[in-house]
Amino acid sequence: MAVVRRAEFAALQSLLKAPSRDAVRQLCQECFSSPPARLGPLAQRACPSLAAGPEEAEQLVSALHNLTRHVVYRGLTRAEDILSLFPENFHQNLKNLLTKIILENISAWRNEAQASQISLPQLVDMDWRVDIKTSSDSISRMAVPTCLLQLKIQEDVALCGDNPVVSALTVELSKETLDTMLEGLGRIRDQLSAVANK
Amino acid sequence: MLRLRRAPATGLGPGGAGGAAAAAMGLLNFTRDPVPEAVSGDMHNLNQLSAQQFSALTEVLFRFLTEPKEVERFLTQLSDFATMNKISLGPLKNIVKSILLVPNGALKRNLSSEQVRADFIALGLSEEKASYFAEQWKVNSPTLTHLAVGQTLMINQLIDMEWKFGVTAGSSELEKVGSIFLQLKLVIKKGSQMENVYVELTLPQFYSFLHEMERVKASLESFS
Repeated sequence: MAVVRRAEFAALQSLLKAPSRDAVRQLCQECFSSPPARLGPLAQRACPSLAAGPEEAEQLVSALHNLTRHVVYRGLTRAEDILSLFPENFHQNLKNLLTKIILENISAWRNEAQASQISLPQLVDMDWRVDIKTSSDSISRMAVPTCLLQLKIQEDVALCGDNPVVSALTVELSKETLDTMLEGLGRIRDQLSAVANK
Repeated sequence: MLRLRRAPATGLGPGGAGGAAAAAMGLLNFTRDPVPEAVSGDMHNLNQLSAQQFSALTEVLFRFLTEPKEVERFLTQLSDFATMNKISLGPLKNIVKSILLVPNGALKRNLSSEQVRADFIALGLSEEKASYFAEQWKVNSPTLTHLAVGQTLMINQLIDMEWKFGVTAGSSELEKVGSIFLQLKLVIKKGSQMENVYVELTLPQFYSFLHEMERVKASLESFS
């Protein structure tokens, strides 16, 4: 994970030219959420409000991204830990402002990082229906209940970005299959409680 | 299941000689189609067997019907029966084909043992043998019905479910995570192929899934 280098802290000083505290806050949030590939366009958008040249804006945006991501990665939650990241001669007020903004956002950012981590396709929704089969080509009269289960599965969030790909899978279960499945799920639940109670 | 092809409609049209034979047999319970010519001849041959021989043959047939995958075993047992009773295997197989028409049709149409007995008599089997077969039918029909239900079409049948759960220790974005993940592998039968579907669930999703599945079970049980 990116460590914040001395030179990057120098780039952060460009924030002193920001129009307001809210502008700084906004920029911090955008820099954290943006993936590295989209930092370029973000820098271009930030240029005018910061009265900074394109190169300066790029360095600033990159430094903010690295700083915020570093804090989230290390799981720093105390003001002292964040403050100690800054070099000795860093602008005092700016340092305090940035620390304050980071602390405000840290838990939301942590959740965001966790939500977008790589994973297998995620279950997003499920629906079910119970049917009674009354007839078929192999037997003309019967009354057999069966379950149809529809699972909505979303592909890896990290891959999809803003366009989530959700596929629906409909599965049929007989009563026996359902009983076996519930047995398995029950065992998972028991093991989970055992882990939770440790 | 041994697929028995009904004989092509040669001479079985309403105008042909076979038509007359079918009309003479009267209306059958196990089928609406005309029965092949050969059947009455086969029934006549069956009547020549002793009660003991018929009983042994019936046992072989029902063992096959209740375990339709054991084709090899069935053929071996038929061949042994043929040898022991000094009957040629070819004609025996034809006889067996004719007999099996009735239980197959009876299963599809949920026939009672009286109806099966009546059909065999209509086909030309002796009363004694028809009653015996019908009795065996009654004994075996729960198993056979269960098998037929099991063969009923299922869409994307869930065959198996494997699972694992664990703890995410860290990631490229978060040095220490400590969150629980649950992964399911569902094995689904799509047509004739198996497909594996991998899904991940968070803990709240798992509990919600479990809760819904318990509701499904309650619903299925109330209909059983």
